[in-house]
Amino acid sequence: MMRRVLVAGTRRSLVLCAAGAVLGLLIAGFGLFTARGTRMAGIPPEDVAIVNQVPILRSDFDQQLRALVDLSPSQATPAQKRKVLDDMIREELYIQRGVELGLPTDDTETRTALLTATESLVAQNALASVPTDAELRAFYRAHVDRYATTGTMELKALVPASRKMEDAAAAVAALRKGAPLAAVTQHSHLVSTGKVDDGEEFYFAARIHLGDDAFAAARRMHAGDVAGPIAGPDGPVILVMHSHRRPVAQPFDVAKSRVADDLIADKMAQLTKANDRFLRKRADVRIAGDLE
Amino acid sequence: MRAIRVTIMVAALALLAGGALWLHESRARATVLLADIDRLAADPKLAPGLRERGRHVFLDHCAACHGDDGHGDRAGGVPDLTDRDFLYGQGRPSEIEQIALHGIRSGDSKGWRLAVMPAYGTPQPSATEAIKPLSPVMINDIIQFLRAREGLPHDVAAAARGRPVFKGSGACWDCHGPDGYGDSAIGAPNLVDRIWLYGDGSPAWVFRSISEGRHGRCPAFAHRLDPVSIRSVALYVASLARGGKS
Repeated sequence: MMRRVLVAGTRRSLVLCAAGAVLGLLIAGFGLFTARGTRMAGIPPEDVAIVNQVPILRSDFDQQLRALVDLSPSQATPAQKRKVLDDMIREELYIQRGVELGLPTDDTETRTALLTATESLVAQNALASVPTDAELRAFYRAHVDRYATTGTMELKALVPASRKMEDAAAAVAALRKGAPLAAVTQHSHLVSTGKVDDGEEFYFAARIHLGDDAFAAARRMHAGDVAGPIAGPDGPVILVMHSHRRPVAQPFDVAKSRVADDLIADKMAQLTKANDRFLRKRADVRIAGDLE
Repeated sequence: MRAIRVTIMVAALALLAGGALWLHESRARATVLLADIDRLAADPKLAPGLRERGRHVFLDHCAACHGDDGHGDRAGGVPDLTDRDFLYGQGRPSEIEQIALHGIRSGDSKGWRLAVMPAYGTPQPSATEAIKPLSPVMINDIIQFLRAREGLPHDVAAAARGRPVFKGSGACWDCHGPDGYGDSAIGAPNLVDRIWLYGDGSPAWVFRSISEGRHGRCPAFAHRLDPVSIRSVALYVASLARGGKS
């Protein structure tokens, strides 16, 4: 009797197990082989639609509505909302189709956009972390030379009309002895190169206008100094410095926003490098024999 | 046997209570998220609670830059959120919500990133636009032009020279408008309202802004905070400009 009960119980268990397995397989099969797959029971309130399991966010919909019809969700008509939603669903469907068709592999513009977006996503982590005041100050101290003002100079660049080195040297000697510039200019027939006649210039502009050699000489000059002659494409150049503001280190409070920018940029670079390493490490990259 | 029955009853009741609470929370969440946020700000039942929740979110995630009281930090170019001067948009909760979600120059492609202040004191002021550098003289002339527009003491001759630079070769008008009123659609500040994002508006600070460029950032919170928290903090920030009211 006892044995019969046990056999019946075992049989019932096996039948229930088998029924459960078949039901599970049916659900999984339905999920796998129907186009819509597994669906959520409802739409979460933060979404306005779910397209093949990809949500369309309500915040995006609201923003799109405002951008297209300049109305808030409570002001827009049902037809306006429906139109915007239909367009967003269409966009989502086309993007999903594009992925199915392999556009991220084949299409150059898609690849460029995807690359930029992925890089930005990596960078977002760096941007999201707010540096503390102590971090900012430490970074400032370590890179204080970066936070100097840009140097400026106002000077004259003159050449003798004869373009002769000895005439230029004579003019320089006269100027250094204290002769007035106007008198020396007239006596030695000096003319301006015309390259630094616009008044005060930033260092980078002065370097471009004067050339490297003359700029290097100018950087050493003080207001009232005369330098040269320096050989250049316009002839032997004489430099007469009117005013020279050298770069000055900015205090932390003044440079703070730049320090924050640089610190974040630094973190972004580090994160990007780490991400590069991670992606390479986990990837299976095989290289052709001739390029190994 | 009786103990088992009691346990089952208690468990069932606890389950029921938990379910009812979850349902209530879900409905409240849905009410907040389905509402038009600009109208939500004026809802006397929901707004106070949301603003209070938003205050906590603000203290946890925004106060590090904007300060506990939202007054910002002019040295770092962090805007004052209480001054009714809106760099982006008109200060509507919906606009603030978008900034909280996607940030400003945050790396999030949905964020604000249209305009960047070029660094006119560098060889290549803009990475994207063909803008020429300006000389220190031209920058000073622009500053004098702006001071004239603000009604502040200025050098008349320099201001006259600065006007064509501002409206022409400097291309300042392109973002800030021909009269310097700015454009909140792209985050270009008003330059003649005596409200300064960086520093105190002195010629030295304005010179730095023009020569070094500016591109402040705000992180995106779309992937770090839940939608109700973001909505709440947007309502709270909107209320700061109105003295804490809706």
